[in-house]
Amino acid sequence: MIDTFYGSDSLGTPAAFLAALGIGGLFGFILERAGFGSSRKLAGVFYFRDMTVVKVMFSAMIVAMLGMSMLVGLGILPGDHVFHLPTVLRAQVVGGLIFGVGFAMGAWCPGTAAAGLGAGRLDALVFLGGALLGGIFFNEAYPWLRGLAGSGSEPVRFVYESLGLPRGAFAFLFTLVAVGAFWLSEWVERRVSGTGEYWDSKFLKVFSIALASVAVGLFALPDPENGTAKEAPAEQVHEAALLETVESASDHIEPEELADRLIAGDASLRVVDIRPPEEFASSHIRGGVNIPMARLPEDLAAWKNKGIIVLYSNGMTHPAQARDSLQRLGFNNAYFLTDGLEGFSDRILTPVSLRHDPVSPAEARRISERRRFFMDPSPLPQAAAAVRNAPRVSVSGERLVDPAWLAGRLGRGDTKMLDLRPQPDYNSNHIPGSLALSVESLRGNRGGVGSMLLPAEDLARRLSALGIDPSAFVVLVYGDKAYDATLAALALERVGHQKFAVLLGGFPRWIKEGHPVDTRLPDVSPARYTASQEADGFTVDHRQVRGMLGRRGVVILDVRPKEYFDGRKSDEARSGHIPGAVNRPYTQDLAEAGGGKGFRPAAELAEEYEKLIPGKDAEVVVYCRTGHQASQAYFILKHVLGYTRVRWYDGGWSEWASRPELPVGK
Amino acid sequence: MDKHTAVPQSHWNPYLAGTALGLTLVLSYAVLGAGLGASGGLARASAALSCAIAPDHTRMSEYFGGWGGQPLRYYLVFMLLGVLGGGAVSAVTSDRFRLALERGGACSARKRFIFALLGGVMVGFSSRLAQGCTSGQALSGGALLLTGSMVFVCAVFAGGYAAAYFVRGQWHD
Repeated sequence: MIDTFYGSDSLGTPAAFLAALGIGGLFGFILERAGFGSSRKLAGVFYFRDMTVVKVMFSAMIVAMLGMSMLVGLGILPGDHVFHLPTVLRAQVVGGLIFGVGFAMGAWCPGTAAAGLGAGRLDALVFLGGALLGGIFFNEAYPWLRGLAGSGSEPVRFVYESLGLPRGAFAFLFTLVAVGAFWLSEWVERRVSGTGEYWDSKFLKVFSIALASVAVGLFALPDPENGTAKEAPAEQVHEAALLETVESASDHIEPEELADRLIAGDASLRVVDIRPPEEFASSHIRGGVNIPMARLPEDLAAWKNKGIIVLYSNGMTHPAQARDSLQRLGFNNAYFLTDGLEGFSDRILTPVSLRHDPVSPAEARRISERRRFFMDPSPLPQAAAAVRNAPRVSVSGERLVDPAWLAGRLGRGDTKMLDLRPQPDYNSNHIPGSLALSVESLRGNRGGVGSMLLPAEDLARRLSALGIDPSAFVVLVYGDKAYDATLAALALERVGHQKFAVLLGGFPRWIKEGHPVDTRLPDVSPARYTASQEADGFTVDHRQVRGMLGRRGVVILDVRPKEYFDGRKSDEARSGHIPGAVNRPYTQDLAEAGGGKGFRPAAELAEEYEKLIPGKDAEVVVYCRTGHQASQAYFILKHVLGYTRVRWYDGGWSEWASRPELPVGK
Repeated sequence: MDKHTAVPQSHWNPYLAGTALGLTLVLSYAVLGAGLGASGGLARASAALSCAIAPDHTRMSEYFGGWGGQPLRYYLVFMLLGVLGGGAVSAVTSDRFRLALERGGACSARKRFIFALLGGVMVGFSSRLAQGCTSGQALSGGALLLTGSMVFVCAVFAGGYAAAYFVRGQWHD
């Protein structure tokens, strides 16, 4: 059995990049050898003078179809290890028509133009330049095209299913159509330009018979699509259609579907957690009720054949057994959750930035919406109307992960946990596999100012020593100071790291929920981290802050305790604050929760910050004394509440006070 | 040997070239788990260009924004570079490498330039809409017998044949 890069979630690794480069090389070489390094030859197909495009393209399609059918059909390459593009008919019809016009006009398509540029064709260069612009236009127009383009979560459809034919029969018919197209192409070429050299040739006869024979051989294969059919992600379908889907999905329900139904406030749904009460108490799916297995029949009697009962546990064995038992008792409406709680946590609660596969913007929105809903600790509103009428808070929470989610990922080499607590705490107990890191090692004296976040290269060196490379998933774990995690998050942002998140509630909540701990030190093999130079667009210095003073719409937030802001207390050269700044002590964003200090509910924070900052795109500068506590305000504003232009004045009051030329407010 | 007098080798038999291309596609599916693609890499380059011009705007935009701060770290970008390199190797070794703007003898360079540019814009735009181009959508998806890919192939030929008459001037000798 072949394990592909896609199948093992590693298309984003250097090894996959290298493989793609090699395969691309082969692709380009063949395109050029076929004559597709010439726009004149490509354009020939539209004037019936040179049908090479049809011959090459359909030969390739048929050969690949036969090859893939065999690999998948014989079980050598599992279907779900292969990426299948979803079908969005309207987008593919409209896109195809525009593409065709552009193809005839430019006489290139993207792949042939790249090969053509390799062959020195300047019109290919111009065409590619145009295509770059076309991509930018699409991005700019995307808000208007969203409906047409589809959400990216449409189902995968196979043409033989759409036509209601058996796969083998369609493949055979398709092969015959292609062979017919070859002969027609040769005939057309002979008529129009006197070429068509393969017309009636021994070669084309042998080739035609060979393709058709292999296609006949496909009838002997079992239906290969079993593995791929379930790949289509859950979609938002109307209620009736959804019910029908559930009915036909025999005995289980996918996490995405369950999530979307809960979010939609589906009142017919009864989500039952069959784990022991103490496990249920530590964490469960929002909206779920706890019923021990032995009590299922009596407690669910009122739901017998009314609505839908979904059973779940950590895995799938117990719920499946419970479901069968219920069915024997006459329940025809019991289902169990595919992949259990662990699967739910992995598939629903993984933030977009920690997912391997590319995610479309629409899918990203849906993921954020589901995370927002299921990470909300408040009980579920009873009626669907309550959900709809609830104040809509735009909270992303993209950079926060649940302890339960992290627990499900332990032992996966791609997740690196950085434990920011003091060394003795780490030594006595830590999350298995986590690495100790002191945030102070990320700071130092820069330009005379103490405790400034180090430059990207220095940070990259530290990450390298921790065995972290740019593709790693980093989860930041704090002890009693959430701002340790947010400062480390800023360090990651400075080097341009994409995949990181803060553990909600930190280590105390991890312990409280009863997840595993360890005292052993993990093995680390140093990695090579190359910082991206332009990543830090958020740090501002005292000159930039001064330039922003008095500018309309700019909000300067001082997150130090009130007495320091007022100047009643001071540990610095001068007392007071930056003129025009607003005081919002960082402690106001925290609350006692789950055994330790954590961020307060996002909805409350959103409401309070709305009163301080005029809009999500307003310019905000946050500072404290040394930049440490301000990192927390930065994190909350940018990553939890979705403010887009948040700046961090690292030097803070420490630097400002020591520069006599800078004005002070009291 | 003087390269100007070197005679280009003839092209491969189109059916055998297609067979080789089909096998390359199977290889791509077996190794990467994804088909061949060209427009995906180009779109990543668009995002990088957009990032260079207006970083904040790009990061906040809905479509490109989803690709993060380093859009070029994507396998299709590398595949596209491979296509460029493979095309160059093939052209040089078969004496077909030639710096030229291909056009009909009676067509001005300016006209061909504009057609190529506009065609490029349309192709760059529409391949995002259709989630792929002739490589990723038509060929790779078609080989898996996907409905959308088959529909795309038909639409491309329909659009191409409908437009061909109006842009034929660029090939007149």
